[in-house]
Amino acid sequence: MAVDEERYLDDRALTGLLEESQDIQSDAMVATTEPLAEMVELGHERRAAGGFDPAEAGQFRDERRRLMRRSLLAGGALATYGFGGALLRLLETPAFADQALDVQMLQTSASLENLAVATYDTALTLPFVGGDSANATVKAFVTTTRGQHADHAVAFNNAITKLGGKAQANPDPVLLDVVTKAKPTLTDASKVVDLAITLETGATQTYQNNIAALSDANAKMVTASIMGVEAQHVAILLAVQALLKADKAGLINLDPGNVANLPDVAGKVGFPESFQKTDMARAPGEGAIK
Amino acid sequence: MRKRRREVLAISETELVQLTSDLDEMHRATLPAMQAAAVEWAGELRADAVALGQTRTSRRRFLAGGGAALGALAFVACGSSKGSGGLGNPTPTDPTGAPNGALAGDFAIAASAASLENLAVGTYQAALDAATAGKLGNVPPAVATFAATAKAQHADHAAAWNSILTNAGKKPVTGVDLTVKNGVVDPAFGQVTDVAGLAKLALVLENVAAATYLNHIGTIENNNALKIAASIQPVEMQHAAILNFVLGQYPVPDAFAKTDGFRPMGDQIG
Repeated sequence: MAVDEERYLDDRALTGLLEESQDIQSDAMVATTEPLAEMVELGHERRAAGGFDPAEAGQFRDERRRLMRRSLLAGGALATYGFGGALLRLLETPAFADQALDVQMLQTSASLENLAVATYDTALTLPFVGGDSANATVKAFVTTTRGQHADHAVAFNNAITKLGGKAQANPDPVLLDVVTKAKPTLTDASKVVDLAITLETGATQTYQNNIAALSDANAKMVTASIMGVEAQHVAILLAVQALLKADKAGLINLDPGNVANLPDVAGKVGFPESFQKTDMARAPGEGAIK
Repeated sequence: MRKRRREVLAISETELVQLTSDLDEMHRATLPAMQAAAVEWAGELRADAVALGQTRTSRRRFLAGGGAALGALAFVACGSSKGSGGLGNPTPTDPTGAPNGALAGDFAIAASAASLENLAVGTYQAALDAATAGKLGNVPPAVATFAATAKAQHADHAAAWNSILTNAGKKPVTGVDLTVKNGVVDPAFGQVTDVAGLAKLALVLENVAAATYLNHIGTIENNNALKIAASIQPVEMQHAAILNFVLGQYPVPDAFAKTDGFRPMGDQIG
């Protein structure tokens, strides 16, 4: 197949442009704050319109590039900074646009991880999850899972900074609202599990979408290495949910002798689809820094 | 820890057939979208002659990973299934070469993936047959359900990869990854006498599949093929998580999925 040349960083072109002016890149970043904000808005609009199709990522990047060009010309940035065509060429390089999109997706991913950490932290303050009355296995799972999400957030933020972006320390704003509204209703373990399934499913499906849209190889592999782990969290949570609903909470433990007593649903509830869906994926720019 | 075992129900062949039938409807819901992606991919490849056998893969990545992968799989097999042995020393292959006849690049990845999925289908079927024949002792309902469901999902995965090949005018892969079968599955399966042994063997296969898909995600060029791999990898990871749970092991042992044990293209298929 034809190689998508837009997916490759043009180092030579970038180096040449940087030789024209030592300050051009930092100035360009200042000058593009507004158009980048517009791009985030565009992402929100796409989410509001019904989610994100990775196949649209290319079109999305083109639109971003067009937005940058239009915004700079309208704002007189080129005249102000006297960059002539150099700045425009830099901003129109595929590498710049692709990295901007990659950074947004990675920031959204980090925001999902930050939210997961905060949510599990909250759960551990509840007596039936983190207290003396909690199921020890559930408590251990929540604690370990919280730690894994913290590791994921670090990994995503490392990938962001490698691309020259700003690390995301905040939670996904849309799902944060969901969690905030759910907090008063978390009156038993089952409700906590339901909320966790929502967050974990949203994360793994978002990463599945992002894998097909990310241009940076490192970002793609970091995302892929985390996607499956979130899916495993979903699988275990679904199994726990099924056992709770079947009034078999006593079977939620890591006793190998347990298998004889598990209901048959435990053998399939954790992986309900042959192919993971993306109907709960978050928009790529939902958690991006504005 | 409670060790007392309650009486469990053995699953009859009739029950297993019924179980599999019940699962068909669930699987059918996700297949159309995947088949559409496969058809779309095949169409793209037909339209671009460059893609036919010339899709680039990362030679350096495969060369670096292949040797480590063989050792890792052997280690995993030895550690997870007592006395099962490892892969030994499979013939090194040129990962950018043309396994399965003239297939290369993304087509070779599709063929390799299909062969691993076929091996999983065959292994789970053998397990179900052994259970029906009473060779595994009492088989708890959850284990029988797991085997039937996982088998059906692996069959779906194989069908997705094969539809890519057939839509591009290639022959589907009906064989299995013989390198893994002969080096790991057959020696281990011969020693499986109970559900725990079966679960350990299944865990090896699922981990290998997940690692292989993760590696593919880093090398696949075509975006539709990438989407297929990305939609399957988490499902294999979920299979592994439940198997760990069944075995009494922590179900999500790693914060990051690994490529340890991935199968490089070049494994013998037959």
